[in-house]
Formats: sequence, C-alpha cells, structure tokens
Amino acid sequence: MIHVEIAGETLFTIGWFEVTNSMVGAALASLLLLAGAWYITRRSALIPNRMQSLLELPVEWVAGIVEGSTSRWRGYVALVIGLFLMILVANWLGLLPGVGTIGINHTVEGHEVLTPLVRPAAADLNFTLGLAIITFVVFVWWGVRVNGPVGYLKELVGEPRYMAPLMFPIHLISELSRLVSLSMRLFGNVFAGEVLIATMLALTTATLFVLPLAFFVPSIFLGLELLFGAVQAMVFALLTMTYITMAIAEHEGDHASEHDGPEHRDKEADTHPASSPA
Amino acid sequence: MDSNLAAGLAMIGAIGPGIGLGIGFSKAMEALGRNPEAAGAIFVPYILGLALTEAIGIYCLVVALILIFAGG
Repeated sequence: MIHVEIAGETLFTIGWFEVTNSMVGAALASLLLLAGAWYITRRSALIPNRMQSLLELPVEWVAGIVEGSTSRWRGYVALVIGLFLMILVANWLGLLPGVGTIGINHTVEGHEVLTPLVRPAAADLNFTLGLAIITFVVFVWWGVRVNGPVGYLKELVGEPRYMAPLMFPIHLISELSRLVSLSMRLFGNVFAGEVLIATMLALTTATLFVLPLAFFVPSIFLGLELLFGAVQAMVFALLTMTYITMAIAEHEGDHASEHDGPEHRDKEADTHPASSPA
Repeated sequence: MDSNLAAGLAMIGAIGPGIGLGIGFSKAMEALGRNPEAAGAIFVPYILGLALTEAIGIYCLVVALILIFAGG
C-alpha cells in the first residue's frame, strides 16, 4: 500500500555525513537554478529575448512587491527573490514523473518498501527549518541593525510601559513562533501534497480495471500541487519581506496601524494594517 | 488503532481555519466588489492573511501525521 516516510530516507553515507533523498532533491533544484541563471545571463541584452524575459518575469514581480513595501528594499530584495525561486523550483521539481516513485526496493518487516531516489526538497523538515532559520536570523539582524539592540528590545516591550510584564512574553513568543510557523507551513503543505498524490495514485491503480477513466484523477491533484507549490513559495518570500519590513519600521507616528502585524489580525477585524491608505 | 483514532480526532481542529478562510475570502471579494481598481492593493495582504490562517490547519495536519507515522 502507501508508505510515505516523514523523514527523508538516507541513500548513502560519506563518513559521518548522511545523504538523504531530499538533499538530492534540493541539490537538483539548486543546480537547475544555477544552470538556468548562467545560461540566460550569458548573453544578456538590454532588450531581452524570450528566455531572458521568462526569468525576468518572476524576478520583477517579486521585486515590485518588495519595492512597494518599504524604501530600504535594496538590502533584502535579493534574499526574497532567492527564497521565492528556490522554493518554487524545489516544489515544482517534486511533481515530475520519477520523483518519489523511482527508487530502491527494501524489505522491511516482511513487506516491500520503496525508498525513492529523489524527494521534493520541502517535504523534509530539515530543509524548511533551514530556510526559516535564515529568515529569522536576517530579520532579527535587520531589527538590531536599524534600531540598535536596546531599541529592538524596546519594541518587544510595547508602548504602555506598565503593560510590559504581559506584553513582553507575548511579543517574544510571537517572534519566536515565526520560526516554527514558517517551517511548519511549508513542510505541512508540501508533505501533505505528496501524501495526497500518493493516495490518489494508489486509488487510481486500485480502480483502474473497474473505471478506466480513473486515469485522469491524479492529474487534478497534480494541478492542485502545482498551484499550492507556487502559492507556498510566494507566501514564504512575502512573509520574509513582511517580517523584515516590520522589524525596520519606524514606530513613531502611525503606531496603531503598524504595531498589529499580520499575525495579530483575525478574520473578523476590519482593520487591515498592511494596506496602504488609498 | 489508537494512533489512527487520535489522528482523526486531531483533524477536528481544521474546522477553525476553514471558517476563517471562508470569511477572509468573502471579505476580500466584498472589498474587490466595492472597488475593483484596488485589486493590486488587496492582493498581497490577502495572500498573507490566507497563508497565516491556513498555517493553523497545517499545524493540526502535522500533529495528525506525527501520530500516524511516529506515534504509538
């Protein structure tokens, strides 16, 4: 039946270093991005040809969103674009035929288990946690760099000083939980998508003799995974941008609108802190 | 059997984000209907709000998956 592991399976070890199949997936995505970037910028022109404008499309779209959020965007627009492209390519690479299905057969506890050779990179919590740690370090560093370490802690304390014993732990935990939420969101989405496609494929092969048109059912879920992979990449990159923008924002003036970031917003509230007053 | 039952019970927590996403989307559609030119300004905060709300449902799913694959 279906057997999907939560952790990435080790393919081989080099000394003490274990190489898992999700590492292979991440390396493939990186190589694809590097090769594409090298090939397209080899003869880059001011009036781009088709391949160059294909790569410029996501780069300019993400850069446009980052530029619209703050005036100091040059410091971190490369990180946001890099995160977006890496997660996008890693997610979409997991939909190719052969990823998750071509592997080595083992026999574990009597029944056969397939160890895939390549696994989507974000289906491993180590990959998403690594990206989330990068984002966390970057936005804490930006906050400390702009406001000073004392200023950054003062932001965590909050405006009415007598509320500090209540607000300081709340702010601290909400900042630390960004690490957990970023990694868990990406991991949960991609891993659940992989389990979903595996389930649909098993369902299809089980009913293929009864219902020959069941061939097309997994294609719907592949399309769903295409959409969700792109949305999760965009969400990770935009959340990175939002956290850095909130860390470097000046808090005098429109304090009420910028102090409740997106994570304090619930769906019933009718104030949108991140929208521009237009 | 216990871990499967616990995993199924853990997914009851996905009711909340379902309602939240529906309300959020309806508010976004309402705002878009009032002012169709504000689609660009609505889009980025809307996607952010969707992702943050859906993350809660993903937490439930991760707990359920841990219970199935590594629980006893």
